[in-house]
Amino acid sequence: MSSARVFFVGGLLSFRAQFNWLSPWILVPSLMVSPVAQILLFAYVGRAAGVGDDRFFLVGNALNYAAIPCTFAMTFAISGERWAQTLGLVLVTPARRLPLFLGRALPVIVTGWAVAVFGLGVGSLLLGVRLEVAVWPSLLLAVAVTSVSCTSLGLLMGAACLRIRDGATLGNVVFLVLLVFCGTNVALADLPAWMAAVGEWLPLTHGIEAARSVAAGAPLGDVAGPLVRELLTGLAYGVAGLATLGWMERDSRRRATLERM
Amino acid sequence: MVARDLRRSFRTTQGRLRRTRSEVEAVRGVSFEIAPGETFGLLGPNGAGKTTTIKMLITLLLPTSGSASVLGMDVVADVRAVRRRIGYVFGGDRGLYDRLSGLDNLRYFAELYGVEPREQQRRIGALLELVGMTGREHERVEGYSRGMRQRLHIARGLLHDPDVVFLDEPSIGIDPVGARELRATIASLKEQGTTVLLTTHYMFEADELCDRIAVIRSGEIVAEGTPEQLKRGVASGRVLEVETYGVPAGVVETLGDLGPVHSVAVEERGQLQVLVLQCDADSEVTQDVLSRLGDVRVGRVSAREPTLEDAYVQLVTQ
Amino acid sequence: MTRLTTRARQLWLCYRLQLKILLVSPFEGFLGVVFPLMFATATLLVYRVEGDPRAMAYAGLGAAVMGVWTSVTVAASSLLNRERWAGTLELLVAAPTPFLMVLVPITTAMATVGLVSVVVTLVWNRLVFGVRLDVASWPLLVLGVLAATVTIAMFGFLLSVVAVRYRTAWALGASLEYPGWLLCGFVVPVSLLPLVVRPLSWALAPTWAVEAMRSAASGGSPWGELAVCLALGAAYAALAAYLGRRLIESARRHATLALT
Repeated sequence: MSSARVFFVGGLLSFRAQFNWLSPWILVPSLMVSPVAQILLFAYVGRAAGVGDDRFFLVGNALNYAAIPCTFAMTFAISGERWAQTLGLVLVTPARRLPLFLGRALPVIVTGWAVAVFGLGVGSLLLGVRLEVAVWPSLLLAVAVTSVSCTSLGLLMGAACLRIRDGATLGNVVFLVLLVFCGTNVALADLPAWMAAVGEWLPLTHGIEAARSVAAGAPLGDVAGPLVRELLTGLAYGVAGLATLGWMERDSRRRATLERM
Repeated sequence: MVARDLRRSFRTTQGRLRRTRSEVEAVRGVSFEIAPGETFGLLGPNGAGKTTTIKMLITLLLPTSGSASVLGMDVVADVRAVRRRIGYVFGGDRGLYDRLSGLDNLRYFAELYGVEPREQQRRIGALLELVGMTGREHERVEGYSRGMRQRLHIARGLLHDPDVVFLDEPSIGIDPVGARELRATIASLKEQGTTVLLTTHYMFEADELCDRIAVIRSGEIVAEGTPEQLKRGVASGRVLEVETYGVPAGVVETLGDLGPVHSVAVEERGQLQVLVLQCDADSEVTQDVLSRLGDVRVGRVSAREPTLEDAYVQLVTQ
Repeated sequence: MTRLTTRARQLWLCYRLQLKILLVSPFEGFLGVVFPLMFATATLLVYRVEGDPRAMAYAGLGAAVMGVWTSVTVAASSLLNRERWAGTLELLVAAPTPFLMVLVPITTAMATVGLVSVVVTLVWNRLVFGVRLDVASWPLLVLGVLAATVTIAMFGFLLSVVAVRYRTAWALGASLEYPGWLLCGFVVPVSLLPLVVRPLSWALAPTWAVEAMRSAASGGSPWGELAVCLALGAAYAALAAYLGRRLIESARRHATLALT
C-alpha cells in the first residue's frame, strides 16, 4: 500500500472501525446539543454579568467545544486499539508511521471543524448574533486551523494513553484546562497574568483570538499572526505526539507494555 | 413446579434504516413437572431455550402462552409471592457489584429479599462457610477469581433459604476443582430438601446430580427421564469410536447407511477426526466400517458403553 | 409499623451500600466534583471581570449546586444500563422488594455525592475568588441545599426510568448537564431567559430550591419556594413510580431486561 493510500483509505477505515459504535443517539446529544447549550450557558452568564457580548461567547465556546471531538476522538483512535488488542497488529505492518497516524487524524479534524461550524451557525441563530456572509470564509479557515491544532494535542494525548490507562479522565481534564485557560470566556487580558501565560502556549487560544477578530469583520490579513501562531502550536504538539508514539513503540518492544491492559 | 405448554417468542428487528421485523420462537410448548425436593436437569445446546424457560419460571419474562406455577403459585399472577420463595443463580462472573465487598453484596441482597436482621447475620455466616469463602468476605469483589465470584453468586441465591433454586449453567468457566466443590454444594441442597432446576452443558454433572433430565432442542423437549433411562432409551447399544486422519465427508455419509449404525458424528481433534458411531447392541460392524473407510488412514478403534453425552449428542443432532 | 421499619431499614442499607460504590470510584468522583467546579470557575472568571461582589456572591451560591445536578443527571440516566451491563439488573428485578424501592436509594446516593461538591465549591469560591457569603440564616440555607439535593435525586429517579430504553443514555444524560445549569438559574437569573423557556425553568424543582437558598441567604422567607420545590419533587417521584411499574411490565413482556 502506498503512503497515500495508507493516509486516506487506512485513515478512514480505521476511523469507521473505531467509531462504529457511535450512533445518532450519541452524536446528536454530544456533538450538536451540548455545544449549543454551552454557548448559550456562557452567553447568558455574560449577559447577567454585563461582560462581553454574545458574539464573544459564541465564538469562544463553539471553538472550545470542537476540542472535545478533536481530542477525544484522536485519543481513542490510538489508544482504543489497545482495548481491542489490535494496536500490536497495526504496528507490525510495514506501513510508514507518519501517514498511518496522520491518516487517522484527518477524519477527526473534519469532525471537529463540523462541530464548531454547527455550533457557530445554530448559536448565532438562537442568540441573534449577525455573522455577515463575508466573514464566513475567513471564519471557516480559522476554525479549520484550530481543529488541526486541537487534533495535534489529541495525538499527544493518544500517545500518552498508551501508558496511562484512563483516557476519558485525561480527556476531561484537558478539556477543562482549555475551557479555563484559553480565553474561551474571558479575554486573556482579563485573566490573571499567570493563567494568560499558560494559555499562550496551549492550542485553541490563538485560534479563538483570530476567529473573534474575523467574526467582528477584520480582514484575514489582520489575523495572520495569531493563525500562524495557532498552526505552529499545533505543529509542535503534533511532532511531540509522533515522537512519543515512536518512542513508545520502540520501548514497548523491549518491555511489552503495549498489549498490557 | 409445573410448566404447561410454555411458549415464548421474541420480536427482533434488523437494519437501521429499513427495519425488518421477524418473530423468533425461543420456547415452543415446553411442559414438565418437578416434584418437591427433586433435582431436575435441563440440557440443551446454546440457544435451545433453557434460559428463556428459566426466566419465565422466575417471573422475569411473561410467557407468550401456556402457564407455569412454582410451589402452587402462578408465575404471572403471584409474582411477589413466587419471588420470595425462589432463588436464582446464573453462571459467569457478572451479576455482582465489583466495588463492594463480598459481604456487602450479600447484605444488599439479603435486604432486598427481606431477610430479618438477626437472621441475616447467622445466614450470611453459614453461607460463607458453605461456599468456602470465610475470611475473604471483606475484600472487594473485583479482586475475586472467577470461581470465587461464582461461589458468592450461589451464596447470594440462597440468602433467603429458598424452597426452589434455579441454577442456570452455574459451572460455566470454573476450573475442575471448583466445579467439583460446586457439585458438592448442589448435592447438599438436595439433602436439605431444596428443589433444584439445573441447566448445564456438562453431562457428567447432570448425570451425577440430577434425578431427572429433560433434553431441550430448538425450544422443544425431545426427551425426558432419569439419566439411566436416557442412556438406555436413546443410545441403546454400543458406541464405536474410530480415529481417522483426513477422512472425506462423503465417506462418513456412507457409514451412516450401514444397517446397525444409528448415527455418525465426527469430532475434530487436531489432525485426526474421531468418528463416533452409535450402533445396535449386539452388532459387529467394525469390519464393515473399516472396509468402507478404504484407503483412509485409521488409528485406534475402540468400542464402549454409551454415556449420557452420547445420548445427548444423538438427541440434539437428530 | 414493623413493615415500615423494615422498609426504612432496606432503604437505608441500600443507600449506604450504593454510596460506598460511588465513593470508591475515582472517575465518578472526578466527574461529579471537578467538572462542575471548573465550570463554576469559568463562570466566576466572567463575573470577576466586572468585579461586583454582590454579583459574585449571587453566582457563587448558585454555582455550588451545579455539582448536585451533574452528579445526578449524568449518572442516573445511565443507571439502569449500568446495572444491565453488570448483570445485576435482572437480579434486582427478581427480588421481592419493589424495584422502585431499589432505585430511589441509588439516585439519593448520587445526590449525596453532589453534596460533597457543594462544600468543595463554596470553599473554592472563598479561597480562589474571595467570594464572601453573607448568609442571614444558615439553617434555612442548609435546608434549601437539602431540598435541592432531594428533589434532584427524585428528578434522577424519573430520568433513570425514562432513559432506560436508550442504550446510549449516558450521552443523553451528559447533554442535560448544561441546559440544567442554565434553566435552573444556578448562575443566571431565570428572569433573564427568554419568555418561552421560563415555564421549563419553573417546572424544574432545583430552580425553586436555588431561589429558596438565595432568600435564606438574604434574610427573606424561603418557605414558599421550598413548598413548590418539594411539591415538584413529589410529582417527579409519583410519575417515576408509575412509569417504572409500566416499564417492568413491558420488560417482562418484551424481554428487554437482560439485553447487553
